[in-house]
Amino acid sequence: MKKTLLISAVLIVILIILCSGCIAEKTVVKVIPAGSLLLPLDEIEQEYEALHPEIDIQVEGHGSIQAIRQVTDLNRSIDLLVVADESLIPDMMYREGPDGVNYTDWYTPFARNEMVLAFTNESAYADEISSDNWYEILEKAEVKVGFSNPTLDASGYRALIMMMLAENQLERPGLFNTVIGDSFSPALVVNKTENGSVVKLPEILHPESDGKVIIRDSSMFLLSLLESGGIDYAFDYKSVAIGQGLRYVELPPEINLGEESYADIYDNATVNLGFQRFATIGNERTGLPIVYAVTIPYNAPEREEAEKFMAFMLDAFKEGGEGYPAPL
Amino acid sequence: MKKILLILAVLACIFTAGCISNPYADIDWPLTLAGSDGNEKVMTVSEIAALPSVSGHGYAVSTVGIKYGPYEITGVPLIELLNQVGGVHEGQTVHVSAADGYLWVFSYEQLLGEDLLCLDANLKELKTPANMTPILMYAVDGKPYSYDDGGPLRMATMTTEPDVITEGSLWVKWVDRIEVHG
Repeated sequence: MKKTLLISAVLIVILIILCSGCIAEKTVVKVIPAGSLLLPLDEIEQEYEALHPEIDIQVEGHGSIQAIRQVTDLNRSIDLLVVADESLIPDMMYREGPDGVNYTDWYTPFARNEMVLAFTNESAYADEISSDNWYEILEKAEVKVGFSNPTLDASGYRALIMMMLAENQLERPGLFNTVIGDSFSPALVVNKTENGSVVKLPEILHPESDGKVIIRDSSMFLLSLLESGGIDYAFDYKSVAIGQGLRYVELPPEINLGEESYADIYDNATVNLGFQRFATIGNERTGLPIVYAVTIPYNAPEREEAEKFMAFMLDAFKEGGEGYPAPL
Repeated sequence: MKKILLILAVLACIFTAGCISNPYADIDWPLTLAGSDGNEKVMTVSEIAALPSVSGHGYAVSTVGIKYGPYEITGVPLIELLNQVGGVHEGQTVHVSAADGYLWVFSYEQLLGEDLLCLDANLKELKTPANMTPILMYAVDGKPYSYDDGGPLRMATMTTEPDVITEGSLWVKWVDRIEVHG
């Protein structure tokens, strides 16, 4: 009798374990954000999962264009897309997908960012640089500057746009070439037309061996180089510099791409990338205010859960935090 | 006895044929090579796999720091593959494009393994660059490279030393056309 009871008890325990296994299956919500949002999203993901243990938020970072291509070109089922350039969503997603339905037909802008000049205590002239003299410091031959590869990373072409705007707004002819353009082989040439400044990049961006300018694939590798002393200054987003604990110089609003009210000025600088990396989007990038936006693709497998997480995420960005882009 | 020997011989033939059959024969993925003179040549994966190949280490990192690998990779050095359409020379560039509409451009120097970045396991840049070779990869860990991972043909940067991480932007997936420009 005792043996039967013992066996029954063991069976009940096994049943409970198995059932708990069944109900512990989590709902996966796939989120693809721009790389500059990875730090805040890591925090937001942890907070959300602590409140909703039945949900598994899976975050996979990409450049903004690559993020959208996961849905439009690679046909992946993604629940939430969060990009660092609001214009990309209508440009790339307001069109029919294979099911005859638009990839999306809405987006919510929620935060803004601005370009800054990040540096460390070890950077040349770290004790002298300020918002008033930054361009004079960068012009010095011995000062090494870096930015992300414009073909791969939006902050890269935004650095070029920013320096073209700086040359015009500060009325300092030749600034772009002294700091950046002349340090490439062949040199980058800015054409000034009635529509503004345009720089056409060669297919291969090849910095001169003097090391005045260095480019890396993305912000992550650029800032690693900055921290190891390989460069003195890096053009990057303000939220990224703060998130990495770096010092930075703020730049005037008419060139930092951070103010909606200066959109007409930003529009006066354009970068033509050396080749069309993606068949679905052209190779021309014109200055725009940096605005982050979110959307849910038409085929999101967990639309309801994506909507809940999106609402939570938007609240978190509204509240802000260290390394978060500023709320709109 | 003769019958048994005959059956054994037939079985041996069947098994041997199974072992040495070409694992690339059924892969329907034509690759177009275009020389600088405009001449084109279409090759099957099987034909590419029959060319002299190299094997080594492959380990990549995405622009946001996601690591892929390490793998044991096999393929044909891109610079040698292009000999099929007249070769590539100094001053020319090579456009590698993919079925998903992606394009990347390599310089001649990069095909020689120069102007390429490599990192250690902590994603810190190696002061002394490793020996790197851009290859058109068709096998990973001795097996045909799967479509889901970016195969059957994918660009990769092969290293002779293990645990050297290379830039993922050069690892073009689903390669279906390679052109020499200039």
